[in-house]
Amino acid sequence: MNVWSISIRNFRHKPLYTFLSILILSVSIALLLAIQQMEASFKQQLESNLGNIDMVVGAKGSPLQLVLSSVLHIDNPTGNISYKEAQKLSKNPLVKMAVPISYGDNYKGYRIVGTTNNFSILYSATIELGRAVQKPMEVVLGAAVAERFDLHIGDTFLSSHGLAEKNDHDHEEPLTVVGIYKPTHKILDRLIVTDLNTIWDVHHHEAAPHDTHEKEITSLLVTFRSPMGFLTLPRNINSNTTMQAALPKYELERLYQFTGVGVKTVTWIAYIILIISCITIFISLYRMVRDRAFDLALMRTYGANVPQLVKMVAYEGLLIVGIAFIVGILLSQIGLRFIFEMIMDQYKQRVPLLLNYKEIAQTGALALLMVLLAIGLAISPIIKMNISKILSHEK
Amino acid sequence: MIKTSGLIFQYDERDLVFNFPDISLGPNENLLILGKSGVGKTTFLHLLAGLLTPLEGKVEIEGISIHSLSNRKMDRFRGQNIGLVFQKNHAIQSLNVFENLKARLFFANKAISNTIISDLLEQLDIIDCRSKKVRELSEGQLQRLGIAMSVIHRPQLILADEPTSSLDDDNCEAVMQLLIDQATANNANLIVITHDGRIQPLFQNSLTL
Repeated sequence: MNVWSISIRNFRHKPLYTFLSILILSVSIALLLAIQQMEASFKQQLESNLGNIDMVVGAKGSPLQLVLSSVLHIDNPTGNISYKEAQKLSKNPLVKMAVPISYGDNYKGYRIVGTTNNFSILYSATIELGRAVQKPMEVVLGAAVAERFDLHIGDTFLSSHGLAEKNDHDHEEPLTVVGIYKPTHKILDRLIVTDLNTIWDVHHHEAAPHDTHEKEITSLLVTFRSPMGFLTLPRNINSNTTMQAALPKYELERLYQFTGVGVKTVTWIAYIILIISCITIFISLYRMVRDRAFDLALMRTYGANVPQLVKMVAYEGLLIVGIAFIVGILLSQIGLRFIFEMIMDQYKQRVPLLLNYKEIAQTGALALLMVLLAIGLAISPIIKMNISKILSHEK
Repeated sequence: MIKTSGLIFQYDERDLVFNFPDISLGPNENLLILGKSGVGKTTFLHLLAGLLTPLEGKVEIEGISIHSLSNRKMDRFRGQNIGLVFQKNHAIQSLNVFENLKARLFFANKAISNTIISDLLEQLDIIDCRSKKVRELSEGQLQRLGIAMSVIHRPQLILADEPTSSLDDDNCEAVMQLLIDQATANNANLIVITHDGRIQPLFQNSLTL
């Protein structure tokens, strides 16, 4: 028998109270953690999808659309640009690497990107099986695509025209799988990479021959040699050419600002829930201290000193927080797994579930701080307790 | 052994002043203090227990002037040397009978012995209730538990505040007899305050406030 074991008896004495306190606190902790983690995951996902792309050059239009389509591969392209002009830009001394990409086709909803072998460098990707593309009509698959359709080296498939999944127009020439990338957890995982010529061949072999038709690409992904590039190149391109330049990082910042309002609102709701749950804990502890005033006074007559009683009540509060915190983490992880599972299905993308210890620690510290405050307020009557008065008013 | 001298108490500066008679009890002596409500019976008892501090005068238990002790020492002294019996609330609600007695010994900083607890519960005829929560006990059982709580740590002084006022005649006599027996068995002084005239014949010494 010691202070701790009495705390545990008290903890179990009114199970409904205890259960409700734990429930409300754990839900608020779970919400806070889930929101933080989701925001961090999406941000990290988006940022890692940028790879080493500093600037994207495409047809005039919305810069955000250009970034969404050419970098994140989730929107339609703004249009096409001349390959010749793009190549001219590639020779600019501020440009370290320029990778052209060209769209046109999909395989069951997964985009086929015509590009050069430098494309994989942007994502620091390596080929796990097979080899890189060497000639038209060969493709290397992103890890998610290979897994989804169970495609292997040497398999062939027919692409469909356009970027979205529809069955109206299949191309007749089959594409051959020659390689599969290692999973990168970036956008590359759900792309099918091929040679620029594949796209051109597929789309123009029925029309005019290559040499009479000016070659076009969708956009050019650029890596700068120095930060100087950020200052001069985009403005130069936007004012002097028919193309537009967009900076992915800047556009994404804008995107966060749009979507951030929602995230912020939910975060504030979670904080409010946390505050409410702390108030609940305060009320339940305070009520406990008041309901058990006689018990506590009795313990003082048994020889218990004030620190022992404070410890007893504090242990009970901490027990509630501790359990609520563990339950909260579990709830948030289960909830997130469920949400990400859905997202993977919908967007064909693997979003890494990263358990951010720093954020867990921060949320934990916040919850602990607020609960300590609640405990402190609740047990203050113990310190000021007038034993004689409580004992002489027994009911 | 308890001795008081010149005890004066006042709750608030504007309140009336209580003047208490001096008492002195030798080994194994018991005292019944009678009085109507409002004359300061409970106040007197709380002064004796060190729960209130007198304006003037002192209380000596086993030669120690208890009001000169620091708060912490007072808590410890009270826990080890004094046993209190109340009218209705006798033990901690969240613990069962056995656990209450263990807690009583723990807070008094005394060794916890299951045999001593069982023996006492047996003497008081509540051994069958050992695993019951406090709220599951009858009035009579509760008062027996109250007695157990006041003597388990072998105190020098047992102070009882209206211990019988909620008991019927049968239980009243049985409980008082048990309390007196336990006080004698522990070589403790027993002081009972009450307005219950039923128990007067059980005491040699009595005092009316």
